[in-house]
Amino acid sequence: MTSFLVRRILGAIVILILISLITFYLFYALPRDPARAFCGKICRPETLTLIRHNLGMDEPLFVQYWHWLSGIFMGREFTQFGACPAPCLGYSFATQEPVFSAIVDRFPVTLSLTLGASVVILSFGILTGMLAAWKVGQPLDKIASSTSVIGASLQIYFVGPLVVFAVVDTLGLLPRPSYVPFTEDPLTWFVHLLIPWVVLSIIFTANYTRMTRSQMLEQLAEDYVRTARAKGMSGRSVFFRFAWRGAMIPIITIFGVDLATLLGGAIITEQTFTLHGIGELAVRAVQNTDLPMLLGVTVVGAAAIVFLNIVVDVLYAFIDPRVRLS
Amino acid sequence: MRSHSRRIATATAVLAVGALALAGCAKGGGGGAPSAAASQTPLENKAVSAITVGTAADSTGPAPEVAGAKPGGTANMIDRDDFSHLDPGRVYLNYNSSVSLLFTRQLTNYKEDASGSIKLVGDLATDAGTTTDGGKTWKFTLKDGVKWQDGSAITSGDIKYSFERLFADFITEGPDYAETWLVPDPNKPFRDQYKGPYDGKELDTIETPDDKTVIFHLNAPHPDFNFTVAMTGYGAVPKAKDTKQKYDKQPFSSGPYQIVSHTTDKSLELERNPNWDKNTDPIRHAYPDKFHMEFGLQSQQSTERFLADTGADKQAFTFHNAVAPERVQEVLGNAEAMKRSIQGLTPFTTFYNINTKRVTDVNVRKAIITAWPAKQLQQIAGGEINSGKIATTVLSPTVLGYEASDLYGKLAKPEGDPEAAKKLLASSSTPTPTIVYAYNQTPTQEKITVAIKDALTKAGFNVVAKPLNPATYYDAIGPVDNQYDIYWGGWAADWPTGSTAIQPQFDGRLIADNAPNYTHLNVPEINTAIDQANTIADPTEAGKAWAAIDRKIMEQAAIVPEYYQTYFGLYGSGLGGVRFDPIQGEQSALDIWVK
Repeated sequence: MTSFLVRRILGAIVILILISLITFYLFYALPRDPARAFCGKICRPETLTLIRHNLGMDEPLFVQYWHWLSGIFMGREFTQFGACPAPCLGYSFATQEPVFSAIVDRFPVTLSLTLGASVVILSFGILTGMLAAWKVGQPLDKIASSTSVIGASLQIYFVGPLVVFAVVDTLGLLPRPSYVPFTEDPLTWFVHLLIPWVVLSIIFTANYTRMTRSQMLEQLAEDYVRTARAKGMSGRSVFFRFAWRGAMIPIITIFGVDLATLLGGAIITEQTFTLHGIGELAVRAVQNTDLPMLLGVTVVGAAAIVFLNIVVDVLYAFIDPRVRLS
Repeated sequence: MRSHSRRIATATAVLAVGALALAGCAKGGGGGAPSAAASQTPLENKAVSAITVGTAADSTGPAPEVAGAKPGGTANMIDRDDFSHLDPGRVYLNYNSSVSLLFTRQLTNYKEDASGSIKLVGDLATDAGTTTDGGKTWKFTLKDGVKWQDGSAITSGDIKYSFERLFADFITEGPDYAETWLVPDPNKPFRDQYKGPYDGKELDTIETPDDKTVIFHLNAPHPDFNFTVAMTGYGAVPKAKDTKQKYDKQPFSSGPYQIVSHTTDKSLELERNPNWDKNTDPIRHAYPDKFHMEFGLQSQQSTERFLADTGADKQAFTFHNAVAPERVQEVLGNAEAMKRSIQGLTPFTTFYNINTKRVTDVNVRKAIITAWPAKQLQQIAGGEINSGKIATTVLSPTVLGYEASDLYGKLAKPEGDPEAAKKLLASSSTPTPTIVYAYNQTPTQEKITVAIKDALTKAGFNVVAKPLNPATYYDAIGPVDNQYDIYWGGWAADWPTGSTAIQPQFDGRLIADNAPNYTHLNVPEINTAIDQANTIADPTEAGKAWAAIDRKIMEQAAIVPEYYQTYFGLYGSGLGGVRFDPIQGEQSALDIWVK
């Protein structure tokens, strides 16, 4: 297990460096001059030259990249913004705030959104799929199946405002979505994120319902299940003690891959409900051609996905004893 | 079994349709059909009726009370963007200026009365400044009782320091008029001549004979320097509290409110500054106890919240977000919402630059203007309320000296006149010219481009349309040797006189890469007229001179004027005193009170 983890972590570091390099160089392939954002309405050539110098943009690209990379471990000093302690990911060109602080500040929002939606997806999706498989061919199965087809067709940016309008503005059942830190008030945190969780998870829940149903039915047709039944095991025991474990293996694997998609969905959800998470940072960074923020969000996002996939691999080994990590 | 399943399926479908139908109903709901009365009638956008320089009496506080106003409560502000800069020296955008009015004061500022006339008055100063040599030397005297948020007095030394620090190498975003005028040689970079106060050196051209008096010695006469120092960029900063780069997030207050906390891109909290004395302030009120400001809302979202007008949104306003274009008709047809609406002419004008270095024949340029389908383009852009009034001059009606004129008959024939344009082309050196039109590649601009292309083609032009990435638009049109003939632009005067409306854009001696003279117009007669207008001391006479230059520029057909931009916004029913700020072109917080 240890050697597996070390290998995966080293591989992750290489991946992250490659991602940051590619993002860095792609950004500078664009014709836009970021220095102009720091120049007044009437931008004199000497002021633009000064700004480029302040931002280190008059140095060769590889030197600029090295400053960025070394700043993560040693910190940096910026003429335009002041000191940037380690881990320094630079300052946002658009907001002049430290990129690392901005990401850390908003991380709990995206984490809350993603984790909460994951719980909804895995619990409702798997539960509904299992119920559908348990009652295959019966009305419950048909409702679950047709609901999942509808759910898989919906879009966050369509459903979100509709739900807010109905549940918040019209019926007044829940407060308008916002983020209150869990440490400040867990109950308010929960209530205010309920709508975004449900909306973000609608598409995924639908897919996991169908996947779970399909996997369960596949497992129930396996030889070992037939043998268990032949030996007198009850249908309930066969279903809930044996078949579900086999069905969960591919589902957990797919969920590991879907985490990246879930993070992408979180971006849209944050925009839809004005939640100030990392997704919003990413969107603004693209809109403002904000290299430091773009780099920071990309690297942090990639790190999160790589880390979560390592966790999924470890979980996989625990669920399926046949898997040998070595 | 089968019929039972079908009944369940039918019920489910009905519920689903019902849920979708809910979206179209109820109070302020999206997608509701506007009433029959919701035609887009022209807005009553009043241009500023007069701009004058006030007296010492006009500069005395308190500001006239707002009828019905009472102190207390928290006013909420919701908007799309956080304020990118709060350090006065780094403020240039109107959005940053609007909020800065609550905690940053300048030597002078603007006071608007009920008739819409604007006076430049003393803010920290006892009056709007005095000059006895045509504007080369300016003297300001600070009022008694003006204090920082910690109760210490604002002194002339603070004012001098506020100007000196603008030379520092990290302050690059704000205006630099004063810096250029306070150094010995205006033709050399000002930072080469003075590097700021952080190494202990002072700027000799600012004199402070005592704690109340500031004297500016400019390198040339600038009769409207008192307007220049009204810019937020020249707001006061105390030396003792200058945190340099960090000051941009939390400046020290000289105004009615002070900053409690600022979380970037999320919120800004203000509370009363106990050391602000209303008797020293002719402009501001401080009715709410607090301001709570939130960011991240697109105009669609803020429009929905204002229409719903529930909870804390009842006490909400916005500085910048306008009514979302797709909801404008609905708002116009909603009598209750219209009671909470704000309209006004902003200082911004938009136009299409004609590259005079490439389109050298003035008759070809005149033909472009004559053929231009202004009305159709306004309709595509969503009508007057979404875009603005069709413009016919360089100067905006919000600028002192504006004179209405329509050299090319655009108001008589806003749809364009291809036949008249053909005649102009026939008399030109290029009867069938090819025109390269560069545009921002957005869905609306694609439609506008089609209309422009059709209209110019009918007049005999061959139009080549070049889409540009909006993120790099100004990088593309900025170079003097760009390969485009027509490209869109916009401008607002930095203070409401003609000099900053005209000189940066049309003085031929200022042509440079990325400089605002995108037309590359260089007419010696106009350059000379600009120099002369800049020396006229009387603002009204100066206004006439700028109006004459406006006509000359239009005779040169250097631009196709597009709009005098308008603003249309909403606020919550729980606020009073919400008004339009004609200087910033946004909603003003200065008279707001919580009902």
